Amino acid sequence: MKTRIAGGRVIDPAHGRDGIGDVWISDGRIIEAPPPGTTADATYEADGKIVMAGAIDIHSHIAGWNVNTARLLLPEFHRAAAMRPAATPLSNAGWSTFATGCLYAQMGFTTVVEPAVAPHYALHAHLELADTPIIDKATLAVLGNDDFLLGLMRGRESASAIEDYVAWTLDATRSLGIKVVNAGGSLALKANARQFSFDDVVSQYGVTSREIVKTLQRATHGLGVPHPLHVHCNNLGMAGSDATALMTIAAAEGLPLHLAHLQFYGYGKEGARGFSSAAPRLAEAVNGAKCVTIDVGQVMFGQTVTISLDTLRQFNARGQARPRKWVIREDDANGAGIVPYDYRASDFHNAVQWAVGLELFLLIDDPWRVFFTTDHPNGAPFTTYPEIFALLMDRDLRAQQIAALPADAMAVTTLPAITREYSLTEIATMTRAAPARLLGLADRGHLGAGAIADVAVYADERDRAKMFRAAALVFKDGELVVRDGVVTRYRWGRALAVRPERDRAIDRCMTRYYEDRYGLSDAFLKVPDHAVGRPEPFELVRCAR
Amino acid sequence: MGRAWIGGKPAALERALAAAAGLLAASRCPLIAGLGTDVAGARAAIGLAERIGGVIDHMNSDALLRDLAVLREAGMMAITPNEARLRADTLLLVGPSLEKEAPDLRRWLGLGSSGNGGGATNRSLVRLCPGGGATIPGERIVACDVNQLLVVLAALRARLAGRPVGKSGIPAKAIEEVATLLKAARFGVAVWSAVDLDALAIEMLCGIVADLNVATRFSGLAIPPGNNATGVLQACGWMTGFPMRTGFGRGHPEHDPWRHDGARMIAAGEADCVVWISAYRAAAPRWPDGLSVIALATGEATLGRGPAVQIEVGQPGVDHDGVEQCPALGTLVAVAATRRSETISVADAIAAIMAAMPGTQVAA
Repeated sequence: MKTRIAGGRVIDPAHGRDGIGDVWISDGRIIEAPPPGTTADATYEADGKIVMAGAIDIHSHIAGWNVNTARLLLPEFHRAAAMRPAATPLSNAGWSTFATGCLYAQMGFTTVVEPAVAPHYALHAHLELADTPIIDKATLAVLGNDDFLLGLMRGRESASAIEDYVAWTLDATRSLGIKVVNAGGSLALKANARQFSFDDVVSQYGVTSREIVKTLQRATHGLGVPHPLHVHCNNLGMAGSDATALMTIAAAEGLPLHLAHLQFYGYGKEGARGFSSAAPRLAEAVNGAKCVTIDVGQVMFGQTVTISLDTLRQFNARGQARPRKWVIREDDANGAGIVPYDYRASDFHNAVQWAVGLELFLLIDDPWRVFFTTDHPNGAPFTTYPEIFALLMDRDLRAQQIAALPADAMAVTTLPAITREYSLTEIATMTRAAPARLLGLADRGHLGAGAIADVAVYADERDRAKMFRAAALVFKDGELVVRDGVVTRYRWGRALAVRPERDRAIDRCMTRYYEDRYGLSDAFLKVPDHAVGRPEPFELVRCAR
Repeated sequence: MGRAWIGGKPAALERALAAAAGLLAASRCPLIAGLGTDVAGARAAIGLAERIGGVIDHMNSDALLRDLAVLREAGMMAITPNEARLRADTLLLVGPSLEKEAPDLRRWLGLGSSGNGGGATNRSLVRLCPGGGATIPGERIVACDVNQLLVVLAALRARLAGRPVGKSGIPAKAIEEVATLLKAARFGVAVWSAVDLDALAIEMLCGIVADLNVATRFSGLAIPPGNNATGVLQACGWMTGFPMRTGFGRGHPEHDPWRHDGARMIAAGEADCVVWISAYRAAAPRWPDGLSVIALATGEATLGRGPAVQIEVGQPGVDHDGVEQCPALGTLVAVAATRRSETISVADAIAAIMAAMPGTQVAA
């Protein structure tokens, strides 16, 4: 069975392709164009349309205990309203995993990474992801506030011992990579610290936040895990947090390091209100540090809820909850905090935050190293992506919105002076080719022969938001799943995971550790295929080692 | 496989499943109740409810929704039992039913022993309105009537804030002593069961926890209700956005703790067909005459007036593998069968019933 997407403008930055042509699909994969005269079993006319690979979101909180608790905390925000479409059960539930998969697919996204899975909650996250239709997904396992790792560091254990533990965690939790969230900060909060920085010491273990980050960076790299350590820095959201981000960037020291939602660290202390954009400084640092990648975490105005494993930050932010209710959970490692928040266009700080994100997008030169996120839902829900694409591609649209924001806020940013506009190729790089490379997914994010046939076709509208909100056609694994912005049928994606080699002695060690510390079997921490409830729920991604 | 009955008489499983499908297809207001099952069973039950426009409720929803009412009105601080054992130097145990609701509570919290992993020693332990049970060395008991708990907690919160209090039902000196102990905590944990406390009292206790965090660290531990209520809650949350007591009568999920209260729907004669799910052996309520009941229950579960259709189901973690809430870890875990049998699981039984219904389509 051959499918032909005919005559569209094919934009495939991984292969330097931008021109009118066909894309051919067979057995769920992209194939070379067959000889002229070959007839396709199905042809989709894409005349006047844009054809790209399916988009990849590297950082979006879509599943797990924290997201689910946010749902239960805020029933008033997600009333369902529509009748049930027969072919897509539960897709009309206001804020369900089913709705999540459909909404992503409608925008042409086909792979999404849930970036904050505490190892003990991995099964829960995978169960939710298994109920998220159409898209493929992956999780990042969070280490760095856990007793076992810090115990190894305190005991000055070897690099290979730490690598074995990281490899064990990746396997047990079926994750694609490792993230660290405010390294040591959750432990500091448990000891009643209210502030914790990069060179502060976790008192019970005698190690600094910097040492935790460096240890995990080296272990991830040493194991050959394609995705570099994914870092949520200390001091998120505070005036002056730019210094923390700059220190962390400098600490990369030539090894790959990914900084998440950099916007939330883009705040200096200049200006009459002691709060200003530090985006130019951060962008300059990122431009100069070729081993560093970042994602933005753009803020958009409106009601949302912040969901984070950074309990220290969320604890300190609890007084700013809008509406006034919040959850702080403490557990065996990071814990979690859920604080609803309403970003207001009339609010000085929120307006600066909005500008900082856009500045980072526009001042970082290389679209291969800056990634498109809102840190969903922390900066804004992922459903705002189309509006952000439009802002990046149109300086007049930006000028209109800047004019409506507090002038004193815009005055402490450089956004009004920036004229850069993203091209469609740069958008495709940032949302397709680059994420696939960053995550080590060789057969995604491009339209070359052999790639998984995840394809998004958009009408080439002047209104870019309209264009990206509702794809004309979306194919997942070669199968048509969206037509004219509407999901036409479900299919069940897989979770992508790595399994680097390890010395199996760590397995016995973890069994003992769980028995001693918890009186429980370490089997409880594992995510077996059968528990997930879908056939072949996982896909193995190869490591370099 | 396993046993099945139609009208109290043994029947082949297929016939019983088909009979259940027929009853549900004919129902105008079906209720899926009990819901004591694993995550797979809950997912199947929610899929069935959507398909037939039914309501889902859980046998322990009363307690569960009291905690949830506080969560969604005021928010909450929470800690897992394991971390409480390892971290807490002060414990405030509130209410008489804790050890009935959590028979492993002493082990979870390392009470009266050093506990696993050498939990904190030299703890302050306050038991407010305790039930019976063995004493715990070093405990400070403050007795009161369970109905007075809200007033006592309010007085305690006022004293913690430095405000004067009037009569609370227990001596002012006792309130003062407890307040002093709580303030001295480096990391305290308040433990309660919503079986004992109404939502106002839970909110008051959570308020005490939040207030104490201004100066020190404190958190809360709500004993999860039984029959995997919190595990089912999680599945319900991600599938519908809402907790149990959600109905699909209008085609989309609507949560209403009063309207979709299963016991109320039965008593008011609104529900005309009930699917009673009890895979953890819990007893069923007494059903009124004439109510059409389909029971998916373990062999040992006590059933009320004979159901129209009864299908014996396996127990998760005993007869078949499953996923359920592990209270000690505070999360969902995979449990392997300890005595694997052929008895059908709730999930498979529901899938078979749905497949036997007219107009079957792809299920969620």
